[in-house]
Amino acid sequence: MARIAHLDVDAFYASVELLRRPELRGKPVIVSGSGPRAVVTTASYEARVFGIGSAMPTSRARRLCPHAVLVAPDFPAYRAASAQVMELVRAQVEGVEVVGLDEAYLDLDGLVAPRAAMRRLVEQIRAHTGLTASVGIGPNRLVAKVASDAEKPRGFVVLSREEACARFAAASPGLVPGIGPKTVARLEAMGITTLGALAAAPEGELVVRFGANHGRDLRLRAAFQGTATITPVRIAVSESRERTLDADVGDPARQEAILRDLAEQLCERLARQERRGRTIAIKVRLDDFTTVTRARTLAATTCEAGVVAEVAVALLRDYAPPRPVRLLGVRVAAFAIGDPPVTDQLALPL
Amino acid sequence: MKLATSKADLLAQLGTVSRVASTRSAVQALSGVQIIAREGAVELRATDMEVGLRVPLAAEVEREGTVVLPARLTLEVVRSLPGDRATLELRPGQGDVELVAGSATFHLRTLRAEDFPPFPEPGDGDASVTVPAAAFVETVGMVARSASRDETRPILTGVLVSASGTQLRMVATDSYRLSVKETRLETPLAGPLEANVPARALQELARIATATEADTLSVTVRDNQVVFAVDGIVLSSRLIDGQFPNYGQLLPDSYEHELRLAGGELTEVVRRMSLLALKNAPLRLRFAEGELTVSAQTPDVGEATESLPVPFTGEPFEIGFNPDFLRDGLETVESRDLVFKLISPIRPGLIEAADDSGFLYLIMPIRLNV
Repeated sequence: MARIAHLDVDAFYASVELLRRPELRGKPVIVSGSGPRAVVTTASYEARVFGIGSAMPTSRARRLCPHAVLVAPDFPAYRAASAQVMELVRAQVEGVEVVGLDEAYLDLDGLVAPRAAMRRLVEQIRAHTGLTASVGIGPNRLVAKVASDAEKPRGFVVLSREEACARFAAASPGLVPGIGPKTVARLEAMGITTLGALAAAPEGELVVRFGANHGRDLRLRAAFQGTATITPVRIAVSESRERTLDADVGDPARQEAILRDLAEQLCERLARQERRGRTIAIKVRLDDFTTVTRARTLAATTCEAGVVAEVAVALLRDYAPPRPVRLLGVRVAAFAIGDPPVTDQLALPL
Repeated sequence: MKLATSKADLLAQLGTVSRVASTRSAVQALSGVQIIAREGAVELRATDMEVGLRVPLAAEVEREGTVVLPARLTLEVVRSLPGDRATLELRPGQGDVELVAGSATFHLRTLRAEDFPPFPEPGDGDASVTVPAAAFVETVGMVARSASRDETRPILTGVLVSASGTQLRMVATDSYRLSVKETRLETPLAGPLEANVPARALQELARIATATEADTLSVTVRDNQVVFAVDGIVLSSRLIDGQFPNYGQLLPDSYEHELRLAGGELTEVVRRMSLLALKNAPLRLRFAEGELTVSAQTPDVGEATESLPVPFTGEPFEIGFNPDFLRDGLETVESRDLVFKLISPIRPGLIEAADDSGFLYLIMPIRLNV
């Protein structure tokens, strides 16, 4: 029954910040950029009390909790902390699917005492990194994920599928990953307001309303039916960085500077993961929300910021945005999968 | 147009000219070969808009005229013809060319002659320079492999050709290696030359010059193009825009180690070890007192190691190279002795012919993580 665990570091970005700045402990902390269009990336539990949550516009969060301490995100620090955590995880469990800096699904098959092993792991993470994590254990990914969320922070919840159904029967269908706010609203319009009601709803009715696939899928999710497959290495097909600008930018020089900056961030990550791509693309969203992408494929793979930036800037010049730009992004795709990660061919400074 | 020619000549000249016909142009005529019969002479032409080739064909012209035929198909047809002689005749009413040889008759639809671009004429003597063909071909052969094939940096897809007095020099780099060859000419040239010529055009020219066994070739550099003439064949090429990198400043002023090695010895070892440096795996060269150990390792495939004595002294170190790049440099030196100059695992290495033949090969290492 206990086949899959979901491990989630509690308030990850905020916790990393608190470790570095203990004076903020006990205070509401929001990790977010400071621009007018910034959104909250993480809020400490003290801040969550005020109703602040991830992805909320920072302006709104500040209205909800004016005395919250705003901290600018420091991704290199988060990545370093994440690498430490994942290393500890991998030392304990063979099948690990990392799904973010702070989250992973673990394959518990083959562990002698999975619960004890998970408790030990959480304790190790706390001892080595000072970070706390919540764990959910269940027969599939869905149960594990919901279970890890159920008693955060420092949660440790083990559920069978039936137990999950019983425990969350009265919860909103939105509790389950994959059922978003729009679906929740449509379900409500049908008189379905709980997971229990959704699981018991006649399939025909759901199919009529949501279509065959989605309708069936909703019922399965409500019944916590899900897969238990772990894909140890997520083969990313592309990696991108994009930025919504604080204010629309019409000046081509400014646009190019932003692209170069994004290329640098992107390549730093690619280089660290020893990944290289051949296709370089840009994404441009104009102030009227027209969104355009342009791509070019190189002869050889690269993870060099200089190369990526030059191609990105050339693509931008070719497109010559006709209106001020609201968002810019750079993407590198077509990774050389299977190539040994070592080749670090140096080049002449031409 | 109507002409008669020998099958062997037609096949040879078509084979030469077809090599530059475009294989993937939107303009269909560019995949064709133009046959011009005029004033008793016949010329075959093909171009992909970058490189153009004009090749004479010995033939009896019965009726003047110009046609464009699909290059690849015509070549296949001519190759298959029976007998020694062939006649070609344009049939304007049918829009095709009747090709007859022995008892075989082909009707080949023509391509639009209007779409075929005009060709530059070779130099009229004023700006053209005559160069010994053998020296030119040898020089091309020693550097062209280092030119880049990456179209995103067009400047590096060319070979910098320069000459003055008795010195001919060519330089090419793809930023991972740099080849320089300086060739001394027996007699001074009529004038200086400087052009960044697509490596492809030079390789094609070298092939033609070798086949014709001509003694000399002429070079005419114009604003944005260069025209070569050798034994009646005219090869023209677009020049590459922009400034070729100042390669002189890329060559280090001094080196930590200078190892003189017997000709071909290291090349053999590198060839063998490269067999197990697959999938971008580097070739590792470990230098220690009196010994060089070359090794390669490809995950899931295997490993190889071989040592050879070298006059190395000092602190041992290990440097990685792309096996193909290293082999290219060593093979270009051929059986001559060479001097291998090194600084550190992350600085460029230099392979130099030890006989003052004027060949330099600068090669950037691969950073080894372990």
